Amino acid sequence: MKDLLLEILGWLGYLERPAVLAQLLLVVVVIMGSHQARKRRLIQHWPREAYPVLGFTILAIVGLTLTAIGRPFGLALLLGLLWLGWFSLQLLHHLLLVWLPEKPAHQLESRLLRPGYLLAASVILISEVDSIQDLAVAPLGELFGVSINAGKLVEALVVIYVVLVGCGPPAAGLAWVAQRAVGMSDGSRKAMELMLRYTVVGLGLVVVAVQLGLNTTALIAVAGGLSVGLGFGIKEVFSNFVSGLWLLFEGSVRPGEVLMLDGDPCEVRRLGLRATLLWRDRDNAELLVPNQTFFTEAATTFTASDRMRRSQVNVGAAYHHDPTEVIALLEATALSVSRVLPHPPPKALLMSYGDSAINYVLRFWIANPLDNSSISSEVNQAIWHAFKDQNIEIPFPQQVEYSMVWPPEQHQSNTGRP
Amino acid sequence: MMSPLITVMAKPERSRARPDRRRGLLLSLVCSLGLTGCAGGFELPNLLYLATSANSDQEINAELISDFRERLHSVVVGYRQLHPATRFQFGIYPDAVIVDAMRRRNRAGLGPDLMFVNGETAKQLVDQGLADPFPLTPSLEHLFNPADLQRMRTDSGALAGLPILIQTQVACFNRRRLPDPPDTLEDLLRASARGHSIGFSIELRSLFWTAGSAGSFEAIQRATAGKPLEPKQMESIETWLAWLQNASNQQRVTFYASQTSALQEFSAGRLDWIPCSSVSLPGLRKRLGDDLGVASLPSGPGGPPTPVNRLRVLALGRSSSRASRERALSFSRFNVNPLVQRSLTLGSQTVLPANRFVKVPVQSSQALQAISASEIAGQRMAQIAGLLHDKDPRLESTQSLINALVFGEVSPKAAAKDLVRLTSKQP
Repeated sequence: MKDLLLEILGWLGYLERPAVLAQLLLVVVVIMGSHQARKRRLIQHWPREAYPVLGFTILAIVGLTLTAIGRPFGLALLLGLLWLGWFSLQLLHHLLLVWLPEKPAHQLESRLLRPGYLLAASVILISEVDSIQDLAVAPLGELFGVSINAGKLVEALVVIYVVLVGCGPPAAGLAWVAQRAVGMSDGSRKAMELMLRYTVVGLGLVVVAVQLGLNTTALIAVAGGLSVGLGFGIKEVFSNFVSGLWLLFEGSVRPGEVLMLDGDPCEVRRLGLRATLLWRDRDNAELLVPNQTFFTEAATTFTASDRMRRSQVNVGAAYHHDPTEVIALLEATALSVSRVLPHPPPKALLMSYGDSAINYVLRFWIANPLDNSSISSEVNQAIWHAFKDQNIEIPFPQQVEYSMVWPPEQHQSNTGRP
Repeated sequence: MMSPLITVMAKPERSRARPDRRRGLLLSLVCSLGLTGCAGGFELPNLLYLATSANSDQEINAELISDFRERLHSVVVGYRQLHPATRFQFGIYPDAVIVDAMRRRNRAGLGPDLMFVNGETAKQLVDQGLADPFPLTPSLEHLFNPADLQRMRTDSGALAGLPILIQTQVACFNRRRLPDPPDTLEDLLRASARGHSIGFSIELRSLFWTAGSAGSFEAIQRATAGKPLEPKQMESIETWLAWLQNASNQQRVTFYASQTSALQEFSAGRLDWIPCSSVSLPGLRKRLGDDLGVASLPSGPGGPPTPVNRLRVLALGRSSSRASRERALSFSRFNVNPLVQRSLTLGSQTVLPANRFVKVPVQSSQALQAISASEIAGQRMAQIAGLLHDKDPRLESTQSLINALVFGEVSPKAAAKDLVRLTSKQP
């Protein structure tokens, strides 16, 4: 490790060379100049994208001149090319948007393309000052009795990163194909996608460990030790992880499911390693709920066997209206609302005799549990109009206030009669 | 106390504040650098960049790096007594790619100050303008064998590099399994018949020593020079090729695709005898310990073997600053002084000094004796080395022919004709 660090620090010695300093200075001037020119729009009709190309062209012209007089220029040219390449990634973003939606395009760019570009650029730059093969075998230390060198470590980290980041799209594709082939639900497809990802990540980690040559006995011993550690130290994390896996297999909390949380219907967006991401329609909030909450506590779901929900609204009608007529009117009114399902048919019931009205409930079925509030509102509005058309009164509580006298025997009603 | 804070917080215009902050940062940086410069505390490291090549039979791994670092350290300790505070940074490249790597680095102005490479590679580097000719003073010239210096001269007469060491080809054997190493080609096949495992690399460079032992060296040399061969000379080439094919037919003789594979099998104890490069000895010693024996390559009816030895030289990089060029020259001269040459030879017991005035104590070490004998036997190769350089296309076509011969796809007689035809075709 010490040797590797000294080696890296040793690259500073190249700054002693005037040719290297001149190239670095030129690159900095060109990049900063083109950045300023772009910012201030020095050439009015030019698009912003043209400035880096102009900068690189200037760099290349200077480079050709210097090469013609026998001065080295490869470093400046390489840095210029890398800068232009980095800038081209921005253009690639627009191209990606042609084929991909915004979010996957952004993820592909930020998680795979840009880190990959930076890694490649680093390797190219290092190979300008040193032997990559030589650096790759620089020993860093030992892990479970296996010597780890820089090359192995970088390779392992790259493989793990690519597996973690890159296995999403193939897993989604495979799950989509499976859904098409066997006709599974969207929730099952998402669950399958997640399980495929976990499997690939697990296999990737094992492959990396084998590639590194880690001793399996040592790994098992460490796993044994870790299990004790897990029991005490990070049991919550581990518990959430296992709960997530269990819920996934059980199928009760899958992406796309609708659960009731604190009285609000929420849609499951993502089942993560530690927590489940839910979306609440009411206020467009995204809630992160630890997986073990669903594992240990009772939860209400509207999507376990189907996605239908039976909803209800309460309404009162004056005592002088015939309940049979009111019930028939309520059921007909519910059916007139387009988003109320005709089957099973809506059902109105007389529930109780209240202080100022007879209380009815109207129960009806809807297709999407998340639409409950808006459909209930529509039904309530329809009842109001229907009652108005049929001259059915919705009474409101009325109270008569009068003063009491003492002793109570002398009290008289407002009419003056005892 | 609160008023300045309130004033700062009352300015919400970020667009105005950011450039000011940047300017401030830039100004502080410039001032800091200026002050550091005034104080004289900022000094760049006094470094010497060294690039070295690993031959095809050397795998670039932690062991090779550690071995190189150790050897370099033994020299550097002495050098630092004269030039303290000098730090060395080295990079090891495979010999096959070092020319391209140096071209790339030179274009960027990031080439090494010194290149420790094979003589042939140094000549290529100078020919392609990737290394500067070494300025040779009469006193320095006096230290070397004129033939060695001649080998290092380019067509224009410039010295491609300063000779430092000679690496030779010797025979490595497992003492525990084969107490007496074979002295002749016949003994070698006899040993295999007795059940000893013999390994060869199919690479021409590793096999060519057998041409001398089989007596075909002069014939091949004539063919390479484009001269016509007499029937007897043609017959000698056929004898050599017949011996190679006969060897490949032996049950206990194995031809490996590369010298690295043969070395791995030998160090794992699965082979009893292989031809090996002297630079492989430290690694083999680590694995086999006292079981490792080193001997001269077997001679034959045609005379002594013709091992392909390598002269390792220091070539001057072209990207050095004036100060680092001075350091490079000073370090190169330091490496050929008798004391350093002697310690290099005795310390590793794998190489011979290029300085002709340094005597090798061959009586005290069997390895040095074998290395020294190989160096003498290999001097004949200088004649052919002048006709064939490393990238000569004839080497590639001859290699294909040897592959076909060893695998029995072509008879020795037909192969001999093809060999003469291929080698006499001047590129």
